Amino acid sequence: MEVFFQTLVGGLSFGAVYALVAMGFSIVYRTMGLVNFAHGQVVMIGAYAASTFYMSAHLPFALAIVVAMAVTGAIALVIERVLRPLENKDFDLMLIGTIGFGVVLESVATIIWGATGHAVPTPVDTAPLDLFGIRIRTYSLVVLLIAAVATVTLMLFLQRTKRGAAMQAVAMDHEAATAVGIHVGRSNAIAFAIGAGLAALAGALVAPMLYVNPTLGGSLGIKGFAAAILGGFGNIPGAIVGGLAIGVLDSFAAGKFQAYSELVVFLAFTVIIMVKPTGLFGERTVNRA
Amino acid sequence: MRLRVAGVAVLAGVAWYLPYQLDLYGIHVVDIAIVFALLAIGLGLAMGIGGQINLAQVAFFGVSAYAVAILTTKAGFGFWTSAVLAVVAAALVGLFVGIPALRMQSHYLGIVTLGLALAFTNWVTNASITGGADGVSGVPVPPLFGIDLSSEYLYYYVELVVFGLALAFALFLVRTGLGRRLRAMRDDSLAAGAVGAPVPVLRMTAFVLASLYGGVAGVLYAGLIRYVAPETFSIANMFLLLAMVIIGGRQSIIGCVVGALALSLLREVLVDFAVYAQLGFGVVVVLMVVFAPTGLAGVPARVMAVVRRGRTAGERAVLRPFQSGGSAPRPGAALEISGISKHFRGLKALVDVSMSVSPGEIRGVVGPNGSGKTTLFNIVSGIYPVSAGRASVDETVVTGRRPYQISRLGIARTFQNLRLFRQMTVRENLLVALDRSSMWSVWRYVVWPVGIWRHERELRTRADELLDRFGLTDFAEAAPGSLPYGIQRRVEIARAMAGDPVLLLLDEPAAGLNGQEVGQLREIVKSIRDSGVTVVLIEHNMGLVMSLCDRVTVLASGSVIADGTPAEVAVRPEVIEAYLGDSMNTAEIAAEVEVS
Amino acid sequence: MSEPSGSAQALSPRGDEAETAGLVVSNLSVHYGGVRAVNSVSFTVGAGQCVGIIGANGAGKTSTLKALMGLVPRRAETIRFGEVDLTKVRPNDVVRHGIGYVPEGRHVFPGLSVEKNLLLGAYVRPWKGSTRDTLTEVFTLFPMLADMRHRLAGALSGGQQQMLAVGRALMSNPKLILLDEPSMGLSPKLIDDILTVLQKLSAAGHALLLVEQNAKLTFEATATCLVMENGEVAMTGTATDLKTDHRVRQIYLGL
Repeated sequence: MEVFFQTLVGGLSFGAVYALVAMGFSIVYRTMGLVNFAHGQVVMIGAYAASTFYMSAHLPFALAIVVAMAVTGAIALVIERVLRPLENKDFDLMLIGTIGFGVVLESVATIIWGATGHAVPTPVDTAPLDLFGIRIRTYSLVVLLIAAVATVTLMLFLQRTKRGAAMQAVAMDHEAATAVGIHVGRSNAIAFAIGAGLAALAGALVAPMLYVNPTLGGSLGIKGFAAAILGGFGNIPGAIVGGLAIGVLDSFAAGKFQAYSELVVFLAFTVIIMVKPTGLFGERTVNRA
Repeated sequence: MRLRVAGVAVLAGVAWYLPYQLDLYGIHVVDIAIVFALLAIGLGLAMGIGGQINLAQVAFFGVSAYAVAILTTKAGFGFWTSAVLAVVAAALVGLFVGIPALRMQSHYLGIVTLGLALAFTNWVTNASITGGADGVSGVPVPPLFGIDLSSEYLYYYVELVVFGLALAFALFLVRTGLGRRLRAMRDDSLAAGAVGAPVPVLRMTAFVLASLYGGVAGVLYAGLIRYVAPETFSIANMFLLLAMVIIGGRQSIIGCVVGALALSLLREVLVDFAVYAQLGFGVVVVLMVVFAPTGLAGVPARVMAVVRRGRTAGERAVLRPFQSGGSAPRPGAALEISGISKHFRGLKALVDVSMSVSPGEIRGVVGPNGSGKTTLFNIVSGIYPVSAGRASVDETVVTGRRPYQISRLGIARTFQNLRLFRQMTVRENLLVALDRSSMWSVWRYVVWPVGIWRHERELRTRADELLDRFGLTDFAEAAPGSLPYGIQRRVEIARAMAGDPVLLLLDEPAAGLNGQEVGQLREIVKSIRDSGVTVVLIEHNMGLVMSLCDRVTVLASGSVIADGTPAEVAVRPEVIEAYLGDSMNTAEIAAEVEVS
Repeated sequence: MSEPSGSAQALSPRGDEAETAGLVVSNLSVHYGGVRAVNSVSFTVGAGQCVGIIGANGAGKTSTLKALMGLVPRRAETIRFGEVDLTKVRPNDVVRHGIGYVPEGRHVFPGLSVEKNLLLGAYVRPWKGSTRDTLTEVFTLFPMLADMRHRLAGALSGGQQQMLAVGRALMSNPKLILLDEPSMGLSPKLIDDILTVLQKLSAAGHALLLVEQNAKLTFEATATCLVMENGEVAMTGTATDLKTDHRVRQIYLGL
């Protein structure tokens, strides 16, 4: 039983990170109908940027995260601008274009930080909490808390602000959005930047939990995507549930199947998406493209 | 043609004498490049020809290479036996990976195939049978009539022969029936289904083809290196492969090969700057996608286009008049629609629609926007399932069948917004529809290619006749998108007629046509009916409907509100109300109809 | 302006220069691929005037409106609104010059609440102060929208969505409103409601350009009408004249 809860808690803190990655996927998909295949690599850049500013520049961890988010946001603006001619035209080409950007980001990371990667010390080094015999790392709680705050902020942004409403409007009907005066390209760029900011946050938070290296993006990206699909693509609350579910599944798979956990997660994901392509909470059709 | 033969001969000569110019390292690089070229052909077939995003190509490669290694070292099979089993294993994995393509396309398919590729990598790095991260070593040298294939020079010639055959097969495939169907599916899967191409089977075929090439590449790789380890089949290599295909030009097999060879060699040249090379490949892929989506293979065509723009062509291609066919050997088919309803999530698009069209009739279906006309066509042609009711053609129930099955029953259609296969020539557009051979006949590709070739020649003759009949001969080699709209409309009708249908559904055939073209259309439709085809047309051009149709059915808000001869229908108050919003002065109109 | 009078008077368009602001279009053409959807169409809509464009499906009416909004590629000698040359205005800035657009098929934002839809109509204005007043006015004109303000727009019926689309266009406080087939798919009763709304808007001083298939509605709502056929203006005249002209029916019914 203890093992069960231990695994559950571990899974939830990773799940929170996947949820952030998934929200980044979702907000871009929601506004542009595009799956950004470079999203995982943006997460990786975020992890590197945050940990570098934290460890080498000795910035406070929170500030390092903010700087990393700004860095990835800027990268996202570049990606969106370069691929804008293909928007609403050829989705397959855009997909390949984002893969190209992913390769670029990975090699840039290797050039800047080397191929070996580095470990990041936990920024919260108080002793683990002991709850009925279950040891919970304080940092896990911090991750869950920050992820929750980020989610609430995003929801408030989408629901309470003019810009947020405009972004949703663009997603639903870009022609009608243009007619009421919304600049669709700018709205998309902002969505892309927000997605990248979330990616950086996820990367920064996961850095002390994993070993940061240039290939980090691949598996984080695809698990985040799996989470997004599981929650019904484009659905923000769904992304959170999906993220937590994938985290827990991952955690238990690691316990049960050890090294084969990725295999199990990806197979499970394939089966789920085959059976229910719209995800658990999704209503949209799969093939927006 | 002669030039092409000479070119191939020169290339073969160069390939033959190449090893004499290379040192041991050089020949090794070339041997590896050929393996990548095979992989690229497979990826090009799936993505460029079939339009199926496939990010699991390295997994197919890996399955086969590992199968050879494991079967030879652990199960004691001979190399060639293992090779055959390995290719079979790769094809089976290809089938498995292809299953998701039946349910999803584009981005979703990309992520699923990528996930499965990662799952494969995860498995080989951890399983004991694959030797974990250490891989499997000690694969035997492939025996071949006493030739020592441990020499990479001699192995080169084995690869060259296999590669030559594989390339020739791919080129043959792309230019004949199966490849044409794949390309049609890539350009427009809906239209491909409507002209009889079995889309689900084709999607699986695309993956099986990719995996067969991956399998062959895996066998060659295992025989060459005689050691397999996980990093060869990493995602990084998958993306390298993707870069090869995109840079070379995914829709051209030759382009894929050129891309693969170029990038393989470039990678070796830049081996000390591997990261920068990777960065460069990424940048080039992005630039290609935005500025040159057809890759290197598209460069000649672009140059030609620029050159041609300079001088105007001497002879202008002309659209010749349509030649009406002979008399009717048969009356056409009867269409019976009974009680069809269609709901889209609560929205009632069609409510209990019934109508019957007699053999040899021209029936008009009219009604205001959003009255459900196109939905009705989509149901009869199998694109939408019905919510209730059924449609039958000559007693055969068509509802519940797939579009390609319905097409094979002799029901053809055109689309409101022209769905031509845009990246194929006009002739190829017709050939796709002319080809009624079943998918089972693909066995001939392996066993009896001559049969394929004969069938192909016969199809081409019939395509020429069809082009001639529709006056399109001058445009046979043109891309549909480059033609004036009126001609595109005619091409679409010709394509629908290629399947020799008994029932033809025309969805707004006069939209966008000028007065003269509408007149030609009227003659074409009449002649089509006279050659034994029942015609149902949706049309907003009421002049055409009134002068062409035997009977007219009026739909409004998803229900039939009137049915009768054009003169009868035009004076019905409810019809005038649906069109004009009022029913004033019907008597006057009735009087006018009498006069006209 | 904020008295809840219930009359549409409160909704009168902004600006005192309303008299000078008219829409002048000459030689407007629209091509899609090889199709010529609109061919050299010219017309004017004076300030506060109501003009209708009628014609059968596919006559080029919708393309004309979209071209005015810059939503489709177009060619034109002039598209001028008051002092503004609309050919040089980006699509998303057209609304800033006082032109509201009610698209064909309504195109409300289905996943957002009624109130959000309306507020997005006022995207170019600050969401405080006078926009709140406009919102109150729209709710007075369409009390039904006030009752459903928190409902998702996608959950409304067709008629309600049409009212919402009109309300959304009003939120930008336009001098000219372009309406594309507001009667599409609506029952005769609802079409009467639309007519009432159009008459109120006109009475309040908005210029209207109404594109319709429903000729009866158009004749009652507008003073001047154009009849389009195959992308060209086939006839022009006052609504009263055209109402009794047989050629209109011939064009529609292909007699």
